[in-house]
Amino acid sequence: MRLVIIGGGIAGVTAAEEVRKLDSDAEITILSEEFHPLYSRVLLPHFIKGKVSRERVFLKKPEWYSEKNIDWQPGVVVKSIDTNNKFVHTSEEREIEYDKLLIVTGCDVRTIGEDGSNVSYWRTLDDTDHLLKLIASNPAKATVFGGGFMACEYVNAFAHHGVSTSVLTRGPWFWSKILSKESGTLINAHLAARGVDVTPNATEPTVMDDNTIFGIGIGIHPELSLMRDAGIEVNEGVKTNEYLETNVPDVYAAGDVAEFMDVTAGRQRVVGNYMNAQMQGRAVAKIICGEKVRFELVSSYATNALGLEIIFIGDTDRNAADSVEVQGSAREGAVSERFFRGGKLVGAVLINKNLERKVITDEIRGS
Amino acid sequence: MKLRVLVDPDLCIGAASCVTIMPETFQMNGENKAFVLDHGKEPGGSSYERWIEVSDAEKETVILAAQSCPTLAVFIFDEAGVQLYPEL
Repeated sequence: MRLVIIGGGIAGVTAAEEVRKLDSDAEITILSEEFHPLYSRVLLPHFIKGKVSRERVFLKKPEWYSEKNIDWQPGVVVKSIDTNNKFVHTSEEREIEYDKLLIVTGCDVRTIGEDGSNVSYWRTLDDTDHLLKLIASNPAKATVFGGGFMACEYVNAFAHHGVSTSVLTRGPWFWSKILSKESGTLINAHLAARGVDVTPNATEPTVMDDNTIFGIGIGIHPELSLMRDAGIEVNEGVKTNEYLETNVPDVYAAGDVAEFMDVTAGRQRVVGNYMNAQMQGRAVAKIICGEKVRFELVSSYATNALGLEIIFIGDTDRNAADSVEVQGSAREGAVSERFFRGGKLVGAVLINKNLERKVITDEIRGS
Repeated sequence: MKLRVLVDPDLCIGAASCVTIMPETFQMNGENKAFVLDHGKEPGGSSYERWIEVSDAEKETVILAAQSCPTLAVFIFDEAGVQLYPEL
């Protein structure tokens, strides 16, 4: 079997590793836009704070790929996919044939209109190197634009380095498409008590060269034109069933780019977190090798905003929920939100309520 | 065989991948940190570190659980003290 994997992140490399375990003869090619061997994006905030070395961020060494007989091609972009004749056309003008194709192209950061050397986006190791240089340049202050995971990471990183920070959120509070006002109030009050003011409903900041770092964390989006042009069905992501199969035979998708049938949530959705990407990489490897087991996972993601623990479990899209039950309050310093659809618990957010995690995860899973 | 399983709470961010893969060895505590169990039990109370007796299959799973940690906060050592994961 010739397996071509487009994308060298955690979903793609995990899939390659698992396929190799299951099929010692498979010809596995990874085409990766990035030049680095696999590293953990989740370790980048620890690296910024000096908790781990730059070397420790890497999950694989360059020689790992050849040891596993995996043809790793860094710095290669796929320009087109021919699903009829089953080959991909690369930036190096090569045509690589496949029997099975796995799309794990991930997402890009959303950008603002203005740019400058003091504007930071934070997704890759190279972005992290740039951010460290900005922090080392002794900035007067930092402005964070956004109200999600990366905005929190910016706040934590700047606080660690003693950079005075303020936040501009696009919505009325952090994660306003997920959280109620009660949770939003709790997070903002927690940050304000630690010297970080949050301005709601803000427009894009004007980038000025006044020794300010602009940390932009306004989300990610998948680049889908490659797949759309190839006749692979896309919507918010590359659409797949619960087996991570696209509408085109022998073409699969996993990780941040996949809009997969989430059987625990009962709908097709995109999930952009590390646990989901890794577990889908492992699941799709088995499916590609003929072990057709449907993908089933209640994924979660935890973050913290200057010490306030925030855990997202399952499907927490407020618009997709029939009802949301809020318990606790900003005044009590702890809030939980439960998302229901069709009379079933499908997701939850816990703020400073860590111990409820297991019970809720089990209930969503139906175990 | 025996393995020493250790979670560094300073590195753990509460992603809970280890719990998803091996709940009988890892659970989350009130600090949102993973702690280590011995086949679902906590002899001597809650701990971030334990020696546990494992079969070959369990050894494979516990290493898989450690590999799944996005912050490399789970450390596995064999009886000779050799660090099996993360690889040095």
